[in-house]
Amino acid sequence: MRNFIAILRGRLFILKCRCFKKNIQIGKGLRIYKKLSLTGSGKISIGENCIIDGTKGDSSQHVCIGTLWPEAIVHIGNNAKLYSSRILAKFEVIIGDDLLMQEAGIMDTDFHSIDRDRNKPADENKDNCQVKIGTNVCIGARSFITKGVNIGDNVIIIPGSIVTMSIKAGGRVGGNPAKILNPVP
Amino acid sequence: MEHTFINILKRCIIDPAYLLNRLAPFLRGTFCIIYYRTFKRNVKIGFPFMVGAKIRIIGPGKVYIGKRCAVLENVFKGLTIVTFSKDSTVIIGNKCALGGITIRCHSKIILGDRVMTAVSLIQDAFFTDLDKDIKRPIRSFAYEAKPVYIGNNVWLGADSLVLGGSVVSNDCVVGAGSVCFNVEFKEYSLIIGNPACKSLPIDKLLRLKGVL
Repeated sequence: MRNFIAILRGRLFILKCRCFKKNIQIGKGLRIYKKLSLTGSGKISIGENCIIDGTKGDSSQHVCIGTLWPEAIVHIGNNAKLYSSRILAKFEVIIGDDLLMQEAGIMDTDFHSIDRDRNKPADENKDNCQVKIGTNVCIGARSFITKGVNIGDNVIIIPGSIVTMSIKAGGRVGGNPAKILNPVP
Repeated sequence: MEHTFINILKRCIIDPAYLLNRLAPFLRGTFCIIYYRTFKRNVKIGFPFMVGAKIRIIGPGKVYIGKRCAVLENVFKGLTIVTFSKDSTVIIGNKCALGGITIRCHSKIILGDRVMTAVSLIQDAFFTDLDKDIKRPIRSFAYEAKPVYIGNNVWLGADSLVLGGSVVSNDCVVGAGSVCFNVEFKEYSLIIGNPACKSLPIDKLLRLKGVL
């Protein structure tokens, strides 16, 4: 029964985006179990057969995807599963297929500079701050991915880690700042 | 002055504002005990139980909470316990002060007596809520759930995470923002860092403080 309502809700959401918001493209087979909010005027495209849900027992968090400029791009691949996570893009956030993300945040920019006046940071371009994530990546609870990070395929990110540098494919990463962990016997 | 029943009675007679302050959470707690005893048989809470914030206990697993526990009033979120299968058990000891703690259990989570918590998270496996996910062989170890044991008189600092396989012994202090993962810690030590590999013994810290 719950699946049926989620499929219906997904189809209504796709219809609404096709009529009113031309900058959003969503593939078929979307299932929405909890509120999804897409803000901003940049391009957002979500792949096929995605699932959007919240965490059990926590009714205050839902999925938020937003863009800050009309030139920003957010692209999510097929079969993604987002559980109450937040994605914010100023330049580009490109994510591959088979994502599993729980209660985490991806942010493309620093928003403010370290100087006393707290204006916008000076050095940010699309090349510096792009976030690229490969296929089959798992992101654990309460973790954070900052600007300019390039994550390879088949990576597992432990809950509570803060990722600031790029990660090669096929590893397990944890800590603040995130480093590769020793293999567990 | 000790926190015994006779002293509380004396103070209630002298100061009526104190009585009202203590009566509302007490009544709310007894209402919670009766509610869970009639409608959800897998949750057993000891008497008396003081509740100042929201409580959410969800799932088919077994939950045992000891006597004289309290969920304090000045906290952002209340207590949240989520169990994912019938075999999962959560056991909390007596006289605990449970602030906005979130517990997500697949196999076993055991807390001792007199545990003091702030906004923290205790989690069994790396990823929860996985009933909609297809198990892929590459991700197989991420689904393993290892039990978590926390001893008596432990203080869990704000925004800390205790993940599966960790053993926090008696009298330990987990610092704010630290993440414990698959390590066993000695008694009476201070646990800091993300990830937290080492622990500092508190005897030596106190002795150094006296010298400096």
